[in-house]
Amino acid sequence: MNSRITAICLTTTLAVAHGYATSYHTVESAQHACFPEGGEFTSVDVKLTRDQRKAIEKASGVKVKDESQRVWRVINKGEAAGWFIVDEVIGKHELITYALALDAHGSVKSIEVMDYRENYGSEIRQADWRRQFVGKKSSDKLKLEDDIKNITGATLSCRHVSEGVKRLLSLYELVLKN
Amino acid sequence: MNSSSRINPSQHAHSVVRRCQPLLGTYVEITTGGADERAMRLAIDAAFASIQSIQNRLSTHDPVSEISLLNREASDRTVTVSAETFEILRHADRLAMESNGAFDYTVAPTLARWGLLPANLQRENPGGWRDVLLLHHRQVRFLRPLTLDLGGIAKGFAVDKAVASLQANHVTAGLVNAGGDLRAFGNQSFAIHMRHPSRPHAIAHPIDLREAALATSSPCFTQKTWHNERVSHLVNPRHGTAITGSVSVTVRARECWLADALTKAVLIAPQRAEHLLMRYNADAFVLTA
Repeated sequence: MNSRITAICLTTTLAVAHGYATSYHTVESAQHACFPEGGEFTSVDVKLTRDQRKAIEKASGVKVKDESQRVWRVINKGEAAGWFIVDEVIGKHELITYALALDAHGSVKSIEVMDYRENYGSEIRQADWRRQFVGKKSSDKLKLEDDIKNITGATLSCRHVSEGVKRLLSLYELVLKN
Repeated sequence: MNSSSRINPSQHAHSVVRRCQPLLGTYVEITTGGADERAMRLAIDAAFASIQSIQNRLSTHDPVSEISLLNREASDRTVTVSAETFEILRHADRLAMESNGAFDYTVAPTLARWGLLPANLQRENPGGWRDVLLLHHRQVRFLRPLTLDLGGIAKGFAVDKAVASLQANHVTAGLVNAGGDLRAFGNQSFAIHMRHPSRPHAIAHPIDLREAALATSSPCFTQKTWHNERVSHLVNPRHGTAITGSVSVTVRARECWLADALTKAVLIAPQRAEHLLMRYNADAFVLTA
């Protein structure tokens, strides 16, 4: 009778992947996913002053790494419908671009991951790895394993996105709510 | 081994929609295949909402969840819970019984003492899974002070609910993946790559998954040293000690809550694993790094 347990020793793996990357949305498709009821998206130029950055860090407890933020005001049928913000967070091994949608009251409407990239090559320093993404659009082919689509055994905490959302909610309260 | 992972186009126009949201403390990815892209997007919205609903009910960290309410009050009085919560409690209770306690959702006080769960889940001389009464009309009562943590089964359960939601909205094929606990449905097979948590860049050979679920557990995710003792979230209830080291277990079963729960039973009571897997028509992969 065959055993129902198969032992696999990883010193004999079939493949070594240096990274894993998936692109889920462009800005347009993320806007539609977050506001399926429709709306007009007007880009708002947000450049944070030093004081604003300090105030956001104090209120949210999360460091602000970028002085600029990609923000769109959303209007639907002449009424304020909310805000659409694109943000990027970096963990030890992952780089995630996501969209945060707020309703007209500044509450979280939805969060959609736009791009997800992991890297585990220990010989690649983080700065070098990130440089390959500068200027790249999500449609460009990345030099990573892109036929590995479904993985088990790799629970990644979404802590970085959760902290990013906290930071963005403070940004809304202190800067956008005007 | 076959490693094709694309949904094969049929004679009709075919789209694949793939979206990801942070939920359940991890990233939940939903992939669907079908002819109507717009309908699939709406179905995926509903599936994510169903996962959010489960998170709201079951999170041990959220003071207003149903589990937190049970942990505060069910030792003192009978508490009525929602159908969803009652369903997962019945699953947990059944697995605890059939695994002879190897799967145990009442070890929260020990995990809290080790700093792996909030401190308010500690109890003096806590009861066990046999002290949890699941009564008529979705009522729950603890015969002795104890606390529950459904972390060992909740992700898998949420995956099952998301799949049910997608199917109820007429999605015919797809995959829901909650941080590695995943389930494939429809007339489509998916190549799933297993990774060991301590060597994430090494990929083991893919499993072809069709109409089944996979879940993975390992001490690697949580192990640490507490007062000179190595501990993890995988408690052997008989000895009060934790499973530690670099083993990782992936179970394939019909439903994801079951795969999720069985990984704990296989890790904690390996000698009974063969029997349990056969009983549930499941199988397991044990990875060592």
